[in-house]
Amino acid sequence: MSDQAHIGHDLAPGDEEQHDVGTRILGYVVGLVLALLLTATSFFIAGTDLVWQPSIPVALIVLAIAQMGVHLVFFLHITTGPDNTNNVLALAFGLLVVFLVVGGTVWIMAHLNANMPPMDQIMPKPM
Amino acid sequence: MLGKLDWSAIPFDQPIPLIAGAVVLVAILAVLIWVVVKGHLPYLWNEWITSVDHKRIGVMYILLASVMLLRGGSDAIMMRIQQAIAYQSQGYLPPEHYNQIFSAHGTIMIFFVAMPFVIGLMNLVVPLQLGVRDVAFPTLNSVGFWLTATGALLVNLSLVIGEFARTGWLAFPPLSELSYSPGVGVDYYAWSLQISGVGTLVAGINLVTTVLKLRTRGMNYLRMPMFCWTTLASNLLIVAAFPILTATLAMLLLDRYLGFHFFTNEAGGNVMMFMNLIWAWGHPEVYILVLPAFGIFSEVVSTFSGKALFGYRSMVLATMAICVISFMVWLHHFFTMGAGPDVNAIFGIASMIIAVPTGVKIYNWLFTMYGGRIRFATPMLWAVGFMVTFIIGGLTGVLVAVPPADFMLHNSMFLVAHFHNVIIGGVLFGAFAGFEYWFPKAFGFRLDERWGKLAFWFTFTGFYVTFVPLYVAGMLGMTRRMQHYDVAEWRPWMIVAAVGMAMLSIGVICQIMQLVVSIRNREALRDRTGDPWDGRSLEWATSSPPPVFNFAFDPDVRGEDVYWNMKVRARQQSLEHEEPEYHDIEMPRNSPTGFVCAFFATIMGFALIWHIWWMVILGGIGAFATFVVFAWRDHDEYVIPAAEVAAIDRVNLEERRSLVSMAGAV
Amino acid sequence: MSMTAAVGDAHADPHHIGLVVEHPGPAPKRIVTAYGFWVFLLSDIVMFSCFFAAYAVLVSQTAGGPKGSEIFEQRNVAIETVCLLLSSFTCGMASIAADVRNRFWFYLGMAVTCVLGLIFLAIEFREFADLVARGYGPSRSAFLTAFFSLVGCHGLHVSAGVLWLLTMMAQVFAKGFRADVLRRMMCFALFWHALDIIWVGVFSVVYLLGGGS
Ligand code: HEM
Ligand SMILES: [Cu+2]
Repeated sequence: MSDQAHIGHDLAPGDEEQHDVGTRILGYVVGLVLALLLTATSFFIAGTDLVWQPSIPVALIVLAIAQMGVHLVFFLHITTGPDNTNNVLALAFGLLVVFLVVGGTVWIMAHLNANMPPMDQIMPKPM
Repeated sequence: MLGKLDWSAIPFDQPIPLIAGAVVLVAILAVLIWVVVKGHLPYLWNEWITSVDHKRIGVMYILLASVMLLRGGSDAIMMRIQQAIAYQSQGYLPPEHYNQIFSAHGTIMIFFVAMPFVIGLMNLVVPLQLGVRDVAFPTLNSVGFWLTATGALLVNLSLVIGEFARTGWLAFPPLSELSYSPGVGVDYYAWSLQISGVGTLVAGINLVTTVLKLRTRGMNYLRMPMFCWTTLASNLLIVAAFPILTATLAMLLLDRYLGFHFFTNEAGGNVMMFMNLIWAWGHPEVYILVLPAFGIFSEVVSTFSGKALFGYRSMVLATMAICVISFMVWLHHFFTMGAGPDVNAIFGIASMIIAVPTGVKIYNWLFTMYGGRIRFATPMLWAVGFMVTFIIGGLTGVLVAVPPADFMLHNSMFLVAHFHNVIIGGVLFGAFAGFEYWFPKAFGFRLDERWGKLAFWFTFTGFYVTFVPLYVAGMLGMTRRMQHYDVAEWRPWMIVAAVGMAMLSIGVICQIMQLVVSIRNREALRDRTGDPWDGRSLEWATSSPPPVFNFAFDPDVRGEDVYWNMKVRARQQSLEHEEPEYHDIEMPRNSPTGFVCAFFATIMGFALIWHIWWMVILGGIGAFATFVVFAWRDHDEYVIPAAEVAAIDRVNLEERRSLVSMAGAV
Repeated sequence: MSMTAAVGDAHADPHHIGLVVEHPGPAPKRIVTAYGFWVFLLSDIVMFSCFFAAYAVLVSQTAGGPKGSEIFEQRNVAIETVCLLLSSFTCGMASIAADVRNRFWFYLGMAVTCVLGLIFLAIEFREFADLVARGYGPSRSAFLTAFFSLVGCHGLHVSAGVLWLLTMMAQVFAKGFRADVLRRMMCFALFWHALDIIWVGVFSVVYLLGGGS
């Protein structure tokens, strides 16, 4: 098992296609600039009253997701290429679970809270 | 200096745990002394404790599980006796003791019996079935095992130093919060699970990576044996679900140690969030356990029917479907807590849906057997016993997943019967089937069939005699975890259940006898060909036990049922005898990293439980240093020269040729 | 019975689906290691998601204590964010330097990453200490419990990352750019970038969403 030889069509997560150093640095620079822009927009939107207030949470979430995407592409070099299939599948499974856990928890807990008396009324006091 | 630890931690006033602890301690000491005196210590250290060979680690996992099965089983016996006699009386176990026992029983059976058993079998078999030399991360594999052992050690330590949790195997708050459980019991529980949880996570990552990245040439996804698929699904679930357990227990620990308010009654904490999170792990967990068992049954049924697995692709699909859907049903564990009809309905429906792929599997096994030439060897008995039993367990499961029915049955003995039905009938039967099936592979001789069959029949009938009464008692309104009761109708059923427990114990004794007898007769039972069952997948293509490097050269895979087709081809071609070309083989070197790391983890866990902060820091530094030392080593592999590989392989090839030509002559 | 014997046979494609691409065999170690670590990162993110979920559930439970908008300081968070972003960049530079085996740029990149990480930790520590001093520690309310744990868990990860980073530098110093060292470096970079992604979630959900009036 040699280290650099790429058998078949597979790439380690985080590895890029063979590029020269200049191109690679450029990739990080682009990523950094995009991320900084998105961050600045997020902070700006959160603090301003120039935009319609109820849209702010949605905008923040969208910006956050966009920025995560930027990180994934420019820093972690996750692409949709065939050499990345396995990496992307694992990521998709992870995201599905994250989505189910967070979404499910929030949904379930909202309903439980709506239907339940506060806990201290139905539990005995400590011994 | 020693935190909360002082002499009052030793339960001098309670004879049962003290005597049990003393007996175990003496036994361990005796074994240790025997090992040292006989001079086996270097062998143990070099060949087992520091081994990074997946087969050895698999065997150690299974050994740990078997020992813990005896411990968890003793708890079960004590509980059954208690409930048989505690009618209108206190029985012989005081409530706080009874509560510790059922908590320890559940914790041990799930985390230190079922988990290590299936992980051990996966470790042992999957690299062989994939045709590779080892798992993806051999040293981490050893770390994972030893951390699991640490968890088991801590749980058993609680028997003699301090106490164990009285909160059930899931430690629900607010009962498990500091205000209701000020002792160290819950801390023992939580820290053992945190530490062994790290071990499980490591094993999960390791096996996922092994299956996805280490298959031998030609082993396309759709050529993998079914057991590899279920291993993949089960370990994906480990990787995705165990972090939830870790986070949830971390929250509980933060509440207890630092006065946080995740699950407390005061300051806005929310108990229901614990239920929610723990079951978000808990439901996937049951599939983590049972999916590998499904894989084992698939291998066993197809081998002993002499046929390829029926509906291989639908089986793959069903496995992966279960893997995803099992994350969408967790609310069925707390229907009664008031999430309301909409939420309940959705989760109820999802729970029914997950029964569909399971049904598909059952049909596939039946069709595999249909028309086959079935041999009822012991592994096959377990498989058939499983099919019967698991159908009943699945049905009662679907029943309690109907919200209105669950309002009647939640927390009743019916529920206890249900989950034992699936866990014993599914996981444990599967583990035993796998044990009987792969034992010859691991050790080079078969197990005695007579004792094996006896063990099966006692366990099988014992299971029904124990748990059918619990179903009935549940319908008669008996709730779970009762230390005593006053309802006359329940009494007879509890007595029958105790009789069943006795039969189960005889089953276990038969299994031990089987081991003893087989070891005695090992020469007669020797498997020289490496293929004692006329198997179909690659693990049977190498000798029993396999050499460290598993395969002398990369197996050539061109379809499903690889080894079966090799045999067919070999017979058709009347065997060309040309010798393959052997190469040097690089193997990972053994390393004490896992053992040393677990040593420090034990110190750290113990210190955390007893609030001995300097010791915590010491343990942490030790663990970190262990990894640095490991990272610093210069040679992580050694080379087995081609000549040695050839010498080892020739012997096996000779045996195998004579087998094939004999079979060909028939 | 040689296992490598080349025989044309019908078993290669039992379901007659036409072309079957042969799996090329075990992947090289670099891919195996990084993939395993990738899977670990996903599991780590699932763990974080529980703390996020807990935060979402408990955020309104202030129990008479302060709300997010009363204690968060946007300016500090902005500085922290910039630190982490820059450190992700410098970490990337260090990875490139490691790949071309340039010690000077490697040490420089790692050192800057380390300093930025430490600045981040210092700011976070000051924020926590300040809150506790004002009586708004994690035991004050369920909201503060969730806040401290989520942000603190990320902080603990960064601290572990810094420890790993220093170990990495020491190892390159002692052993040079060996194959196994390069593999570890690769995992470290993955880890550090992933922490940055989680931070994006933290500052968006906790500080910006929770800090709005
Ligand atoms: C060998 C025969 C066994 C018997 C007779 C037995 C008996 C019992 C009893 C009496 C309880 C407590 C019921 C109560 O709450 O009053 C229990 C709970 C439990 N058992 Fe077993 N058990 C056996 C084997 C197993 C095995 C093999 C496993 C898992 C692999 C297992 C897992 C559990 C679990 C998870 C609980 C739930 C603990 C709780 O929620 O209270 N048991 N068992
Ligand atoms: Cu369930």
